[in-house]
Amino acid sequence: MRIDRVLAVARKNLRSLKHDRRTIGFLVLMPLLMITIFGYTFGGDVKNIEVYIVNLDQAPANQSISAAIIADLETRDTLDIVRIYGPSDAGVDPVGIGRDKVKDANIWATIIFNETFTQDATRLAGDSSGQSALVRMMVDGTNPNIVQAISNDVLTAIRTALGSRAFVAPIAISTDLVYGKDARFIDFFAPGVMGLAAMMVTFMLSIISFIHERSTSTLDRLLTTPVTEGEIVAGYALAFGLVGLIQSTVIILAAVALFDIQIVGNPLTVLLIVFVFGAGIQGLGFLLSSMAKNEFQAVQFIPLILFPSILLSGVFWPIEAVPAVLRPISNFIPLTYAVEGMRSVMIRGWGIGDIWLQIGVLVVFACVMLLLSAYSLRKRR
Amino acid sequence: MSGINEGKAKRATRALEGAGDTIHTHKLRKEFDTLVAVDDLDLKVGHGLLYGMIGPNGSGKTTVIKMLVGLLRPTAGKAFVLGEKVPIKDNVSRIGYMPQEMAIYTDLTVHENLELFSALYSMDRESFKKREQELLKVIDLSDRGDNLVSQLSGGMKHRVSLACTLIHDPEVVFLDEPTVGVDPELRVGFWKYFADLKARGKTVIMTTHYMDEAVRCDVVGMMRLGKLIGEGTPKELMASTATSDLESAFMVMAKKVGT
Repeated sequence: MRIDRVLAVARKNLRSLKHDRRTIGFLVLMPLLMITIFGYTFGGDVKNIEVYIVNLDQAPANQSISAAIIADLETRDTLDIVRIYGPSDAGVDPVGIGRDKVKDANIWATIIFNETFTQDATRLAGDSSGQSALVRMMVDGTNPNIVQAISNDVLTAIRTALGSRAFVAPIAISTDLVYGKDARFIDFFAPGVMGLAAMMVTFMLSIISFIHERSTSTLDRLLTTPVTEGEIVAGYALAFGLVGLIQSTVIILAAVALFDIQIVGNPLTVLLIVFVFGAGIQGLGFLLSSMAKNEFQAVQFIPLILFPSILLSGVFWPIEAVPAVLRPISNFIPLTYAVEGMRSVMIRGWGIGDIWLQIGVLVVFACVMLLLSAYSLRKRR
Repeated sequence: MSGINEGKAKRATRALEGAGDTIHTHKLRKEFDTLVAVDDLDLKVGHGLLYGMIGPNGSGKTTVIKMLVGLLRPTAGKAFVLGEKVPIKDNVSRIGYMPQEMAIYTDLTVHENLELFSALYSMDRESFKKREQELLKVIDLSDRGDNLVSQLSGGMKHRVSLACTLIHDPEVVFLDEPTVGVDPELRVGFWKYFADLKARGKTVIMTTHYMDEAVRCDVVGMMRLGKLIGEGTPKELMASTATSDLESAFMVMAKKVGT
């Protein structure tokens, strides 16, 4: 081995990098982006879980244990208490309102203290009957992480509230899961994996095949035939949307067979989401690919798009675990809507009418991407 | 042989002056940033001719072809193909284009490639099947229809590329450097196809920088720095420059117009 020849090869590679400014930028910015997003998200606890509290406890404020618990909950930001109903609100059926809000997935939980909460807790203190005063919670069980975080936070608050008192009162939590009664982590996970898999495959296939189409000039040949730009883009979307569908079907079947995951809603609705999402992601890949000058630049888009999507879309942990600074980004990531839609169908058992927001966002995303792709093709001429 | 060529030459000259040319351009111009690739080109190609555009690399041949088939927009000037202003729409199915690169799907079979392009031209199954058999015979790949293109040799790929261009039996065929990287034996075969196309009344416009090949064309246009510096039958060109081959003729022409 001769060092001068090694150096010559090394120099050749560095020089070709030097001629590609975008790649240099990528080499510096990509790790920065990764460490920022990873650092923020992995370090993050679940925060700002939106809940209602219904406090019907009639004990005077200075003696009320429920008031102390609520006060403690408010000192932390795990729960974002959107609304507190007091005893005077009993007339509007706050428990019913709270249940509906959880059912509609507007909030994650409603925490209820009944009229005799403080009285029961005080009475049962020192009692050997084994009975406890109950904090009732109606929780959306779609996401086990969230359920866990709420329970932990309420337990902490109970402990803190009682710690400042002279007696130890038996207080227990009774959780009533509105959705996902038997949901395990795998049930929460499966829709996320499906969305992510559909995204990775369609995105990579689309970017690579289109750049190939360009570099081999088959695109030039296509564009001299009667086929229109729109037809090319639609053909790509159809093909890769179908690939996404087949893949999701395999994942669903495997998840049911191996892990016995629950699918409460209609699996076809799930596949519809995958198809629309896949078509949109295909368009995105096509568009980005057309902005790249060479294969290397095209490939750079893969981590640039995939990493934020994986980390910020709620695939592995709830959006509530994404730090507030980054959360607005989550709202711009299509995967967020795909995964949320699929979870609503698979765990909550919702139909198309209930996930119109998610479907709508994905349809708009797909249309915009496909139109822009067709436009970018036209502009090439 | 020479009598036939003279007949062709007469027809060529007539066609050059005719109004109903298959291709004609008027002050056609293409600039890339500061580079003038095609410089106010006036070009006429009559019906049924084998027209060869020759010139060194970078003389603007490919750019002209790309504007004619609608892949590049002219910066200025006009171009007409089959009487339609470029980029043509109504007559797209009447032209065929073979890019310089192979431009075929190497991960598909020969048959699948041909089928794709036939579908894009909305050919019906029957005529496609007939045409496919015909073309596979012409390119001598009748037994390779189900082979993946990636498994074929370079020369075979070239032939498949030509077949894709001709699948819909176009009236005007644009061939951009069809013989680059093609071995001598295959090149002879290619020229046989081109002659055959012409015999069937097709108009062929091709670019090449192999001057020795261009002798076989009816009319040769010599391109240099985006301009046509000479045009005529190979015989005329050689006669007017008192040379015995097109390469020398090109040199003389180039000298005449200056640097």
